[in-house]
Amino acid sequence: MKILVVEDEDKTGKFLQQGLNEAGFNTDLACNGVDGLHLALTQVDAYDLIILDVMLPGLDGWKVLETLRLSGRDMPVLFLTARDQVEDRVKGFDLGADDYLVKPFAFSELLARIRSLLKRTRVTSEATVLSVADLELDLLRRRVSRAGLRIDLTAKEFSLLELLMRRKGEVLSRSLIASQVWDMNFDSDTNVIEVAIRRLRSKVDDPFSPKLIHTLRGMGYVLEVSDKI
Amino acid sequence: MKRKLSLIWRLTGLYTLVSGFVLLGLSAVIIYSIKQHFVEQDKEILQGKVQLVSSIASDVIAANTLDEFSDKLKAGLIGHKDLLVLVMHEQGVPLYSFGSGEFPVNFIREKSSSISPHTIAWNAEGQSYRGLVVTQNVKAQPKRPIIILVALNINHHNIFMSRFQGTLLLYVVIAALISGFLGWLAAKRGLLPLYQMKSRALAVTANQLDKRMSVENVPVEISELASALNQMLERLEDAFRRLSEFSSDIAHELRTPVSNLMTQTHVALSLPRDVRTYQSILASNAEEYERLSRTISDMLFLAKADHGLTLPSNEIIELNKEVADLFEFYDALAEDHEIHLRSMGKGQIKGDRLMIRRVINNLLSNAIRYTPAHGTIEVQIESGSESVLLIVKNAGVPIPESDIPHLFERFYRVDKNRVKGDSEGSGLGLAITRAIVVAHNGDISVTSTMEGTIFRILFPKTD
Repeated sequence: MKILVVEDEDKTGKFLQQGLNEAGFNTDLACNGVDGLHLALTQVDAYDLIILDVMLPGLDGWKVLETLRLSGRDMPVLFLTARDQVEDRVKGFDLGADDYLVKPFAFSELLARIRSLLKRTRVTSEATVLSVADLELDLLRRRVSRAGLRIDLTAKEFSLLELLMRRKGEVLSRSLIASQVWDMNFDSDTNVIEVAIRRLRSKVDDPFSPKLIHTLRGMGYVLEVSDKI
Repeated sequence: MKRKLSLIWRLTGLYTLVSGFVLLGLSAVIIYSIKQHFVEQDKEILQGKVQLVSSIASDVIAANTLDEFSDKLKAGLIGHKDLLVLVMHEQGVPLYSFGSGEFPVNFIREKSSSISPHTIAWNAEGQSYRGLVVTQNVKAQPKRPIIILVALNINHHNIFMSRFQGTLLLYVVIAALISGFLGWLAAKRGLLPLYQMKSRALAVTANQLDKRMSVENVPVEISELASALNQMLERLEDAFRRLSEFSSDIAHELRTPVSNLMTQTHVALSLPRDVRTYQSILASNAEEYERLSRTISDMLFLAKADHGLTLPSNEIIELNKEVADLFEFYDALAEDHEIHLRSMGKGQIKGDRLMIRRVINNLLSNAIRYTPAHGTIEVQIESGSESVLLIVKNAGVPIPESDIPHLFERFYRVDKNRVKGDSEGSGLGLAITRAIVVAHNGDISVTSTMEGTIFRILFPKTD
């Protein structure tokens, strides 16, 4: 999967490139709108996704997107911006942007958005039973079992586990979890999510091995079969 | 670009025009009455002469002695060199004429009437005449009435009038100019307060927004304008003050965490360390960044709120449902802290669901932070006839009296010792809460006693 990052801030661009490369994407970096547009239009095998900063020297993100769409390129475009104005969002979507992320953002959030734009994460969405290692979650019967043993979860614990399992291997930030499970679309400065994870862990992980739910300090939580940490 | 005419010049122009018109009107009236006066005067003289001529005529023509007639007339008219007299038969046959100049015989015949004397005027050979015509029957020849005309040369009137008119016009022009000048002086003087205002306004800068226009000792119109300007200045000053407070708040609040991060990073870099240590430092930094980022977005929210928050949506919100959802969210945490959550009552308001949720969330997370173990947090919703009251009550150490008035100020934190748990608020939660409540036309207040702390939010009832 090839991704083009157009970002004029040197450090941000480099870190984005590194992070995306490490997440398994083949990433190119352009430092201004003109170069970005040129790369996007001339690469032989087209990019699968473009990450575009709005404020760019020379040619701003809106113009780059407009020109791209006019020349018939319809790869998904994700806007990054420090400006959080509703009009900006509307303008971006009007021009044909696919997603919009306000700086500063959690890198895990960016990865999640990219994966969702590339329609990679929906592979398991059709399944009615999710399973990771010996952990199984039956969506229809709303039952969870591990190593054949039935585990009783509250409704919210079930939703939380479902989210973690659907996006296994992905680091989920606290704010993402709060918004997906509890529909709390604002940052809470309490440790509600920690407590919820701890409780879930005590039911799903504590009596069993290997441990599946991992905490990445400063990042969030991930559910995967892993020996690290 | 065409330059706009100044107010003073406009007023001066208007003064000049108005006084010019008034003086012209006055002059016209004067000229008219003088002319009338001349006419009356002439008429009086002429009437006397006509009577004289007519009585002589009726006596003399009967005797058929023309010589005697002209002698008699001559005697009667002696000394009147600007007088003209014509006596003729109705058919136009002149019987007698006196004075120089031609008579428009046909015109006189036309104008003659049998009964009353008729005034006529004509010009001949550059001279103007005014006369009286009368038709008279003569006893001796009842079938042949005679026409008598007595006229005056009125050239001297005309000469006087044209001179008088010229002089008057000159005076009118001079008077108009003088009143224009006086008007200019008056306008300049009258507008003096405006100029003073201008110089005061020029003195207002970002650093000196406290300057005000003087409202006393100026005319009413100007004082109204001045107080309107003052109100504008006040609003500007307030907005500006809030803006600069906001900037300094930002600098102040961001300095501490940035300094922490910097120190920590510098210390970490000063010696080689193992991977675990680096990881732990980075993770700690990431947490700090997250907090910073949260503070920034909270501050941005408040900055927007300062300019009047517009609600993204305006829908019916079931308060009890929102409370229930939030209780679900905080359920595990409360249980962890051994805090009891209880809600009662219900009610609905109109507003933005996400924002209202944020309000309740802020109050709840606050309450959870300050409620001791085994305490209870109680949310009450009371739906009255005109308003909906939302009460969040929690047990705990009372907030000191002196802190209460400042509680909703941004970055105001009550004694840090009260902070419980591992995460500390940004100090913006209650400021945001109030901003949202205000945007919903509501009112928020707080009381704190030994029994606990109570936040009350009063929302207007929806129709």
